[in-house]
Amino acid sequence: MKLTKTISALFLSLVLLVGSLGQANAAKRLHAAIADWTGGIITCEVAVAILEREYGYKVKQTVFPSGTGLWEAIAAGEIDFACESWPSYAEADSVMLNEDLIYEGKVVGSYSGDGSVDLLGTAGIIGLSDYWIPRYAAEEFGIKTWKDLNKHKDKFATIETGNRGRLIACPVAGWNCHDQKRLDLLGIDFQADELGTEAAAIAEAKAAYMRKEPFMLYLWSPHWFFGQYDMVGVQLPDHKVCDPDTFTESNNWKDCGTKGWPATGWAKDYTMNYGNPAVFAKSENAEAKKFFENMSLQNIDQAKMLVEVDIKKRPVKEVVAEWLDNNPDKWKPWLK
Amino acid sequence: MSSSTEILGKSNQSKNIITYSIIGIVFLIAFWLSSQSEGPSKFPKFVTDEFTFTAWVNEGEDFLKKNYRWITKIIAGYIKASYYFVEDFLLESPWLLITAIIFLPCMIAGGLRLGLYSLFVVYFWGATGMWEPSLQTVALMGLSVLLCVFFGFILGVFCSQSDRFENFMKPVLDTMQVMPAFVYLFPALFFFGIGGAPAILATMIYAMPPIIRLTNTGIRQVPAQTIESATSFGSNKLQLLFKIKIPLSLPSIMMGINQVIMMALALVVLACFIGAEGIGGQVWQAIRRLDVGWAMEGGLCILFMAIMFDRFSMAFSKDKERLPSDVQKFYLLPQSWAKHQIARLIEKPLSITHDIMKYICLFITNLIAYVFKSLISIFNKISAEDIGDFISKRYYIIPSFIVFLLIILVDAYFIKIGSFPEEWRLSIRQPITNAVESLTVNPGFISFTKGLRAFVYLNLLRPLDVFLTHIPWWYTMAVFVALGYITVGIRFAIITALLLSFIGACGIWSHSMITLSSVLVSVALCFVIGVPLGIIASYNERFRNIQNVVLDAMQTLPYFCYLIPVLMFFGGGIVSAVLATVIYAIPPIIRLTSLGLTQVSGTYSEVSRSFGGTLIQTLNKVKFPLAVPSLVIGFNQTVIMAFAMQIVTPLIGGKGLGLEVFNGLARSDTGRGLAAGIGIVLLAIIIDRITLAWTKKQRQALGL
Repeated sequence: MKLTKTISALFLSLVLLVGSLGQANAAKRLHAAIADWTGGIITCEVAVAILEREYGYKVKQTVFPSGTGLWEAIAAGEIDFACESWPSYAEADSVMLNEDLIYEGKVVGSYSGDGSVDLLGTAGIIGLSDYWIPRYAAEEFGIKTWKDLNKHKDKFATIETGNRGRLIACPVAGWNCHDQKRLDLLGIDFQADELGTEAAAIAEAKAAYMRKEPFMLYLWSPHWFFGQYDMVGVQLPDHKVCDPDTFTESNNWKDCGTKGWPATGWAKDYTMNYGNPAVFAKSENAEAKKFFENMSLQNIDQAKMLVEVDIKKRPVKEVVAEWLDNNPDKWKPWLK
Repeated sequence: MSSSTEILGKSNQSKNIITYSIIGIVFLIAFWLSSQSEGPSKFPKFVTDEFTFTAWVNEGEDFLKKNYRWITKIIAGYIKASYYFVEDFLLESPWLLITAIIFLPCMIAGGLRLGLYSLFVVYFWGATGMWEPSLQTVALMGLSVLLCVFFGFILGVFCSQSDRFENFMKPVLDTMQVMPAFVYLFPALFFFGIGGAPAILATMIYAMPPIIRLTNTGIRQVPAQTIESATSFGSNKLQLLFKIKIPLSLPSIMMGINQVIMMALALVVLACFIGAEGIGGQVWQAIRRLDVGWAMEGGLCILFMAIMFDRFSMAFSKDKERLPSDVQKFYLLPQSWAKHQIARLIEKPLSITHDIMKYICLFITNLIAYVFKSLISIFNKISAEDIGDFISKRYYIIPSFIVFLLIILVDAYFIKIGSFPEEWRLSIRQPITNAVESLTVNPGFISFTKGLRAFVYLNLLRPLDVFLTHIPWWYTMAVFVALGYITVGIRFAIITALLLSFIGACGIWSHSMITLSSVLVSVALCFVIGVPLGIIASYNERFRNIQNVVLDAMQTLPYFCYLIPVLMFFGGGIVSAVLATVIYAIPPIIRLTSLGLTQVSGTYSEVSRSFGGTLIQTLNKVKFPLAVPSLVIGFNQTVIMAFAMQIVTPLIGGKGLGLEVFNGLARSDTGRGLAAGIGIVLLAIIIDRITLAWTKKQRQALGL
């Protein structure tokens, strides 16, 4: 009796599967990565929503930590594309891209890697990263630049850091911020605390701001945090790479002191979308390739959506769909 | 008699003093050594430089990827294709069809109560906007369960037929069960790519042991008389197996399937870390955005789903209770309420509906059976009878199919049913988020959480961290080896030495000490909180019942759901990581304390009470010593779970080996991630073996 039950159950699932054969239609598929910061998620969602709406794609999205691992996954064809790579944060770009990055007709970066990843085009976002302290703290202690930090390090200390100051650091290891290295090279007696996620780092900063405590935060713009809270940058030294660029993994992370990266601040980041070359060389994906070449989301638009998502806590899909509905003039030109 | 026990007691006492003083001395030396050392202890440089495990793994991976990747790609391709197929079907079918596919089997197997529950679950998926992720999880789980049952059943049958094969499989199964899932979750990523395929394969490794074991034991436990009588009737070996042994072992096999389902669900959710879609991914995203409401919705979806599948597979394997014909059968309320008039009144319409439905089902099925019979009898009379019989016996399944077919037809030709209606959305996200947020701005609460955080960090974590990382590695190693020698034996002591040297040689010694200290602090907190709860539960049955429900629910939730409340209330940081570990790892200690205390047979406590022992004396002097083995097992399980949790705590600021695994993944440095992952497993294995051996000794000493 029970055996027959089991057989019937199996039979049932089999019939359902066969029945569904007719239903499964061969939609064009792409596989995108979901980034680990909200800005990146929004940029990608804009691309995904347009691909789905206008070109009939079905885009699968997978949460994947950004970093070299993601680049390799794309090169291996396990993920088709990812959005808004910030060149200062990617260490794989110079090895894997083989193309120029052009913003408004100007070449802002040229790569000569092996071409195992395809530079699909600009994302449009132009980013800026720095260390920030709240204005009240800067005024109270008279901190103008990073050089004044050591004098007040005890104010920035927490129980976890003892008598050193605390930097709420770059949250994701794969971003290669080298925070502790930078602090050490510049002689700032602070400890970099990696909290694992953007949300955790922001939550710490938000709580500290509400209590009007001094704190130092690594953060990038565009970010909603700057709209809500009054922060000032500590003006890290201007970005410079030492020549030849020695601070790489293959060179065992040998630095050249305070002369260049990572003892400097970040360069202005012209962000880009990147994907698997084989996938986007296919004729069926020509439209998608064309779209990515034209796509360019402005900072201000992303910032608006960031507020909706991170402050009003609305779902990303909903916010992006609403933006697309209300601003066709902004994204229709990307379709030509 | 009495004098001999006295001597025994005395020698025991002096033995105890010696042991305690040895432990004390060991600690003192460790303390002195750690205060002497300047920085964290490091393995000798010439060893770590020579032993480049990380590089070897990466080279090996490159080699395998270059030369054998095509094999794994083919396997992954097949699995991926079938997964997409199931997923497409689930996602593109009208929602009514999905509901019917879930509701009707639940109703048939588990009665009206389970049916209604399944409707609630399905509604919850849709209402919270988790329709697609839930179905993706179901698809992943379903496929892995199917594969597990298929291969597991075959392997189980082989095991039952050949002793040699069984002996070969036993250690393999043991390893599969001891290994924490994430250890092969990440390597699966490197060989099978990201997404559904590696998730399904990893789930197969994780969830297959129970079905193999239970098929094997089920077949082996078929009574000898039955087999003999079957042989005497002239059945050959194959007939014996398929006609007698397997049918008789079905209850055991069904139990195995139940376990497979539960384990598969747990791992499929965890597989979001290697890019599998589904609710796990939703919860992960929610954690990353600190959205408690969203994460809670995801967690509840998983919880309800797990309960549904559990009850469903249980109901499938359970025999229906037969009631005497004069008692009214209850469909919704507990049968024990039959004595109440109101209950009978409520049940009346249900039973009438049931009768009507049954009549309709029977009628339709018989009609179809008749049609088939007469159609086939044109060609072949005998098989027509058989087929007619076969159909008319399935008076549940045939009507179900008709319902499915009707829905598909209606959807295709009349009204597009589509996905779950948006208007029925009922999000609980906002209220939860608001409630938590109002709590987090409460000054009293803030000062409490801050105080707790400071206390745990300053008094427990930091001292232990410093202590463990500063003790010279050779001393820690010697202590572990000595423990291994005393509790298990010389062979294990050597193994311990080798395993620890591996950790040291990989250059992750101080990371592993940080992990160890996090685990120890978590386990200590688990004890402080869990043992009193267990004691209360052992005295108060009502409390115990409530607690059991809560603990059951806690154990069905995937690890990283526990990060949410902690992150919300305590922020990110190493203390939060410890607190999340405590929440996850506490159930076994509560359960086993209460179990151990209630199992101490009544006579012992009776005797103690008749000698005038107070409640506390009885507890302290009689019950606790007798419950020690059970407590140690609880400790053992808690430690293992605490180690397992280390893999997800980096998401909220945990440090140590778990962070190394994450860094390895993010930098695509397989060797680094793998070394750290193995490090966690090795530590867990060492502590597991030592505590288990110690329990065994205690049991023998107590004569249990």
